[in-house]
Amino acid sequence: MRRMVSMLAVLALLLAVTSGVFAAGAREGAAVDGAANLEASLAVDTSGLLSADGQPLVRVADDDRPVPTRPADPSALPQTDPLHWYDMEWAGWDADKSTIPESPRNGAIGRRIVFIVHGDHPWTTACTLGAQKVADAYNMELRALSPNWDLAVQNQMIDQAINERPDMILLIPLDARTAPQQARRIHQAGIPLILFNTLPDAAAMDYAITWTGPDDFGQFRLLARTFADELRRRHPGASELGIAYVQHAPGGSPYFARSWGPVSELAGYAPEIKTLDMQAPGFEADRTMQLVSDWLTRFGPELKGIIAADDSAQALGIVEALRRAGREDVVVVAAGNSKVGMDLVQEGRLFAITYQTAEGDGALAVQTAADWFNGKDIPMRRNLAQHIITESDVGDFYPPQW
Amino acid sequence: MRRSERHSTTANRRLAWIEKYRIFLLFAVIFVFMSVFAPRFFNVFNLTSILRMVAMNATVAIGFTIVLICAQLDLSIGTVITFAGVIGLSLKEPLGYALAVPIAIAAGAMVGLFNGVLVAKAKISSFIVTLGTLTILQGAIYTITGGNTVSLSTPDAFAVSDFLARPLLPLVTPRILLMLGLVAAFELFLRRTRTGRNFYLVGGNRNTAWLAGINTDRYLIAAFVLSGTLAAIGGVFFAMESSAATLRMGDQSLMYVISATIIGGTAMTGGKGGVFRSFVAVLALEMLYTGVILFGLGNEVKIFIAGLILATVVLYEAYAFYKHQREIGKRPELVRELAVQPAAAGEGGRADP
Repeated sequence: MRRMVSMLAVLALLLAVTSGVFAAGAREGAAVDGAANLEASLAVDTSGLLSADGQPLVRVADDDRPVPTRPADPSALPQTDPLHWYDMEWAGWDADKSTIPESPRNGAIGRRIVFIVHGDHPWTTACTLGAQKVADAYNMELRALSPNWDLAVQNQMIDQAINERPDMILLIPLDARTAPQQARRIHQAGIPLILFNTLPDAAAMDYAITWTGPDDFGQFRLLARTFADELRRRHPGASELGIAYVQHAPGGSPYFARSWGPVSELAGYAPEIKTLDMQAPGFEADRTMQLVSDWLTRFGPELKGIIAADDSAQALGIVEALRRAGREDVVVVAAGNSKVGMDLVQEGRLFAITYQTAEGDGALAVQTAADWFNGKDIPMRRNLAQHIITESDVGDFYPPQW
Repeated sequence: MRRSERHSTTANRRLAWIEKYRIFLLFAVIFVFMSVFAPRFFNVFNLTSILRMVAMNATVAIGFTIVLICAQLDLSIGTVITFAGVIGLSLKEPLGYALAVPIAIAAGAMVGLFNGVLVAKAKISSFIVTLGTLTILQGAIYTITGGNTVSLSTPDAFAVSDFLARPLLPLVTPRILLMLGLVAAFELFLRRTRTGRNFYLVGGNRNTAWLAGINTDRYLIAAFVLSGTLAAIGGVFFAMESSAATLRMGDQSLMYVISATIIGGTAMTGGKGGVFRSFVAVLALEMLYTGVILFGLGNEVKIFIAGLILATVVLYEAYAFYKHQREIGKRPELVRELAVQPAAAGEGGRADP
């Protein structure tokens, strides 16, 4: 016991000495000559940068959808009503930005940025590569951190990032609903924040300069219409068309956007399309294949189409299950444009996928950070341009980014 | 005693000392190394952050240590963390924290009771039982939440979170204080009370403990109840501080806590170990992880280093166990006497026939 008390005392003493000697978070940002830096920074042109697929790296949507008026209580509306998802789909449009720091307007060159993603994945590698390309153009120091899908580790990385006192933090929140607390913590530390890629809960947007990334709901509404058109073409005059959803990992915004986005869109656009089931089997091909095989047994010819949240492992599992069952008549659409997905589109086994540029996602976040340092007006949200890839134009997007 | 024997005894004593205090040495080495070399490691913000980060796993490690001292495993701790967090936050709005938190902790205790009864009374392996509980709880969590993260949407959503994270003293927040209090209380309980010491007896040799009049089943059940309770405390307070409970918030804790407890010196064979050592091991691992991030290395390096340390400790434990088994029943002083005797006999002039 005495030993334990002495150990605790030594520990406490060590920590107390530490607290007395070191002041938390001495700012280490390099002194920058504001006017000259701003002038040089404004002269940087990133419009010529390309992603690995030969497409322009920074693709900002210039045809954003009109923002509807928020219902008094969106959750009271049925889930098939698009406005039920208002706070998620339109998160940030009515955010209170009164406490967001003003841009220093002294240029982006030489800034230190911490870039915290959600986990290790080929998509993330491409995303970080795109971010690095823009950072290099502005001679920014970009430090990428990956918590490997662990919320506790992401929180730890946020603390470490705050400890480093960078000029800005860019964050992909691991979970929409934990994002407000994370964003608030960064905001309280006085570090400018841009959220990107996955949409957080609306409350998080009050603490961030903006959010950038794919308009997941918008893309999936677009994909749902393309999907419905194809189903109608294949089954003209059908009074009921059964479909199923292979969902994203529960918790994040893609889980909702990629299943409830199309459900609520199809309820209005193609009411004859009925949802038979929705499941989140994770991102393993074998588990997805098992799920789809079960669906084929359970629903038989009633199953006419599948909407998947992922065009790589999930899509592989789906097309393999359909091939084994001899049900290649089922229309399959998915999110993303991985090599696997694009190959499957080219082979005609996937009907359509969304063009979700991974490099562009990271690039847009860093570009927006640079714009903020340069004093440009930053909108409440900055969406990536949308496009649906089908067999007719998939060749334009080779070689794939990941 | 010959000089070589004296050297050997001294070396053995040194080795024994190092083995006894290895976790404190590891802690000191990591702390000093990181303080000197890791950029921005040695400051109040970072050290507070480390203590905040260990608060959950250190609390959970207390219960896991007690289970391991009883020579059992509890694989359900990760899901109990999530389960308690989900229950605590789900019930917060209808009942308030005053009721929601005790209910969430009680739910963790009930899971522990279920595990304990099956292990002690049905004589099923704790590995199988707790693996089953883990799976059942995962299903229950998805059923309760519908696959969604539970978060607070009331205006006071951040009030409790702010309170738990507010420094009372340099480096000490209420949540850190709670963790330190639990560590101290359970260390005292295990070391200074007869009931506490009986856990070691049960884990060291269950039959002997039974012959000594200890109700071993009751101690096994109690160990699992404590494990469930403490995992629930860790989970519910983590969720309160985050203002949200995700469906996988406890997933990473299992390996973390197992590693720390073993590195801390709690024997997998039972009967040996301590709560304070596990706490220091959790702290040492967290400092190591933080240092890895501060050096700009990736998560994969962190996992690699943690695995390397664990593998080294497990190998060492296996060697020590092997050595111990070889020494059982031997009397070193008798071996020494026997080694000396022939020479003495020769000097005395008495020849063998």
